[in-house]
Amino acid sequence: MPLLARFKILGHSMEPQIKTGETVLVSSIPYWFKIPKIHDIVAFKDDTNKILIKRIIRIQNGKYFVQGDNKNDSLDSRKFGYIPKDKIIGEVIYKL
Amino acid sequence: MKIKSLFNILPLKIAYAHCDIPCGIYDPHQAQLAAHTVIRMTQLLMEIKREGETKAEHDVARITYVKEEHSSIIEGELETLRNDYFKEEHYKEYSNLNDLFVKTLKTVSKARQNIDIVVAQETLSGILEIAEIFYKTKGVIPVRVKSIYPTGGEIVVYK
Repeated sequence: MPLLARFKILGHSMEPQIKTGETVLVSSIPYWFKIPKIHDIVAFKDDTNKILIKRIIRIQNGKYFVQGDNKNDSLDSRKFGYIPKDKIIGEVIYKL
Repeated sequence: MKIKSLFNILPLKIAYAHCDIPCGIYDPHQAQLAAHTVIRMTQLLMEIKREGETKAEHDVARITYVKEEHSSIIEGELETLRNDYFKEEHYKEYSNLNDLFVKTLKTVSKARQNIDIVVAQETLSGILEIAEIFYKTKGVIPVRVKSIYPTGGEIVVYK
């Protein structure tokens, strides 16, 4: 869980807000004080431990349905289902 | 010195805003095939003979199972085309395309819920229209031909 980490984004699924090649800051600190909520953009690990970023759309039974803003072109919970909270490594807090 | 550049001391890692797996393989054929299957299963349900009750129940269960399964295939295939293949420019060029998806997905649900040959035919009809638009966006000419299935309906191929 990074206190603060810098990630370069690859992929188009968060457009128009975050474009491929842009850099964002991800931090776990916000989630020390609150639980992830709907509309947060989060970084999380997939089953292969690759880091993905998506937006939280729904929360159900403590699990999170995440989706790309560019939903016409996004691989997200519509395909891989809800993700547990412990897969979320932090919130995207700033775009550099 | 810009404040933003202070963050450059942090190591830069990669995060993926994953697009769908960009395999580029899309085809409306599977949806057409499944729609013909739903029609055929509906026909078979309408033809069930009540001579032996257990046999009839058994047949209804099996046929309904296949109808359900192929309705799900249609929904999945249509959602893939709708969400993954067709882009904004397609929806602009073919202004009826989104309505066609909405209408056809509703008829699939009805075909699943009922034994209604008209609704099953409407499902196929919507899929054929979507298939024609799909092939046009691929730069090939769509052609309607009579299917070789016992349903007797058409399929859309291309030349």
